[in-house]
Amino acid sequence: MAEVKQVTIWARGVTQDMEGRHLSLLVANSADKDGKFVQAWDDYADLPDRVGVPLRKYARISEEEIEMRYEYENKQPNVVIVMDDTIIKGMDILHGMPKGGVLVVNSKRSADDLLKFIPNKELLSSITVVDASGIAADVAVDFMGSEGGVEVAAVGKGISAPLAGAASKATGLLKLESVVAVAANKEGVKQGAEAAKVKKL
Amino acid sequence: MSDFKFKIPKHLEVPMGAVIPAPVKENPGMITGNWRTERPVIDHEACTLCLNCFIFCPDACWHLDEKTEKMMWNARYCKGCMICVNECPADCLTPQNELDFPKGVVRLDKPF
Amino acid sequence: MAKEVFYSGCAAAAYGAKFSRVEVISSYPIRPYTGIMMELSKLVANGDLDAEFVHGEGEHAQVSIAYGASAAGARAYTGSSGVGVTYAMECYSPAAGGRLPCQMAIADRALDPPGDFGSEHTDVMSARDQGWIMGWAETPQEVFDNTIMYYRIGEDPRVMLPQFCCQDGYFVSHIPGKVILPDQKAVDEYLPPYNNPHPLDPTRPVSHGPQIFPDQGPAIDLQRAQAFLDTPKVIAEAVKDFNKQFGRKYSPFVEEYMTDDADIAFFIMGGHARTARFAVNHLRKKGVKAGMVKLRFVRPWPTEAVAEALSKFKAVGTIETSTSYGGAMRGGNLIHEVRASLYDLPKRPAVTSFMAGLGGEVVTLNEFYEMAKILTEAAKSGKVKKGVYWLGFEPD
Repeated sequence: MAEVKQVTIWARGVTQDMEGRHLSLLVANSADKDGKFVQAWDDYADLPDRVGVPLRKYARISEEEIEMRYEYENKQPNVVIVMDDTIIKGMDILHGMPKGGVLVVNSKRSADDLLKFIPNKELLSSITVVDASGIAADVAVDFMGSEGGVEVAAVGKGISAPLAGAASKATGLLKLESVVAVAANKEGVKQGAEAAKVKKL
Repeated sequence: MSDFKFKIPKHLEVPMGAVIPAPVKENPGMITGNWRTERPVIDHEACTLCLNCFIFCPDACWHLDEKTEKMMWNARYCKGCMICVNECPADCLTPQNELDFPKGVVRLDKPF
Repeated sequence: MAKEVFYSGCAAAAYGAKFSRVEVISSYPIRPYTGIMMELSKLVANGDLDAEFVHGEGEHAQVSIAYGASAAGARAYTGSSGVGVTYAMECYSPAAGGRLPCQMAIADRALDPPGDFGSEHTDVMSARDQGWIMGWAETPQEVFDNTIMYYRIGEDPRVMLPQFCCQDGYFVSHIPGKVILPDQKAVDEYLPPYNNPHPLDPTRPVSHGPQIFPDQGPAIDLQRAQAFLDTPKVIAEAVKDFNKQFGRKYSPFVEEYMTDDADIAFFIMGGHARTARFAVNHLRKKGVKAGMVKLRFVRPWPTEAVAEALSKFKAVGTIETSTSYGGAMRGGNLIHEVRASLYDLPKRPAVTSFMAGLGGEVVTLNEFYEMAKILTEAAKSGKVKKGVYWLGFEPD
């Protein structure tokens, strides 16, 4: 059984529900483009969401067919992406992470500022900070893609684009050109990758 | 007739009929403080104790401490809706980003 | 042109209904099937599907609307989950007894208490004796295909029965998978328009569901019983034609995986069959001669096909994702029918059942390995120690 890379995305309920899902789709779709086996889905128990509640969106990437497809959660995330920096204070975002994981945060603050709120930071090999909200405009939220629906809005228009770019730079798991190819806001992906500050730990 | 008895691991045990005690004052099983990105900060000097924040808070996160005669805020359940800030006639409440406060961490393994 | 998309089971069901050209849709929200109606309402609102979309005030109303529409001669679609399915219970028999084909999409959900979003087949299995065609899909693709196939089967003049088109909640309904959407023209060729021979029509008045005397009861019951006797033939034809039209490889009743030389077999239905395949692959590598038999229809129960498929094994374990409290085996439902199907055979395998995946719990590879261990032992000794194993909750 090939190793399955687990990507967990934390987003705020309702306001970031769609962009969170889009980010998981960008991760999966770009890896799919590179010929990997992928899965992107919403956490079942976090929905239906309420304004501000921390939400989890997931992606899995593997060289072989994913056997653990039905597991509700990414129990051992290799990569964690946080779409709103205040979530790191409220949740144990690194829960279950194997040592050497990667964290990507959307924040205006510095990496050191953020690390103060992460007591289990020894699990990380790097932290990447990008001001995604400064790069991409807010996109009106629609709920077309929730509860297993088909996405109507173009995937990767808002903050999911620069965050996917930053994740590509931070992890090496995704090819930047593949992310650019699958995202609606292509400039945003490139800007996110450029602006992302990777700090090795 | 059977003597069969299920062995249910401790962490999966459920009370008979799934009947659980109801929360009376606070519900430690449903902490919602991590829903907020901003918190209301009170200027006690400017506060007139009008109790508008107490009345309007949908989650009963403001109460008057009769000893100190100050309005007290409950960090564990405030969802950061900022209705109190909106309703304060004395303008003594200001929203401030949660990460400006190193203390008051509400950290959970799972969201609700 | 056929086109490949990445859809959840919910979206696949909705598109199955769209390609079937449903004319009346009745909805009422409950997770996890909600996504199907979200998708259909979108299609209707955007003008992509010309159908009447009716909001029921509950599941009872939903099913009443659906079979009412069928009585008027429209192809009707509805659906539900969990306690919604059981709330509509009164309406199932009138729809089947009235011989009014309509389709109800089910995305399984555990029944209360307490509230649980997880998938368990008990909800609609409770309605298995009401005279509806019933079966489970393993993947979003199979959900899509079944939706179309079930209309063809249910609306066949030899059948005229409503259908439960089921999928596991979350596992199938909420996790996207690849789905091939065919040409509409190809579907139209496969699925002729619904023809109700005696529709509600003011110019030719008819009365549906009149009161009868008790001694007329058997005759009405026998009509439904006869329809179920005739249905397997129709299913076999419909599946064969479907495979031919769309290039699929469905077996009509039971699908076998690695069974040719197998000693032990998992008997399973629905989404967990996917995990069972991987388990079989791994067990084979370890030298265990395991196989899997996937059930595609619970009603009509394919007695002969089940007997034929299972008779070649030494031991069979049914994976029960539903409960039959106080039933003959004290566990689930499938084993009752499996043992009954095998009873008259001169040589039959040892059969036990495994309670797994209750309340939406994931049936893991390790649980399949545990089942294989128990079945291997039974294969050796030629008999089972007991009729049910509650995986993870057995005393030491």
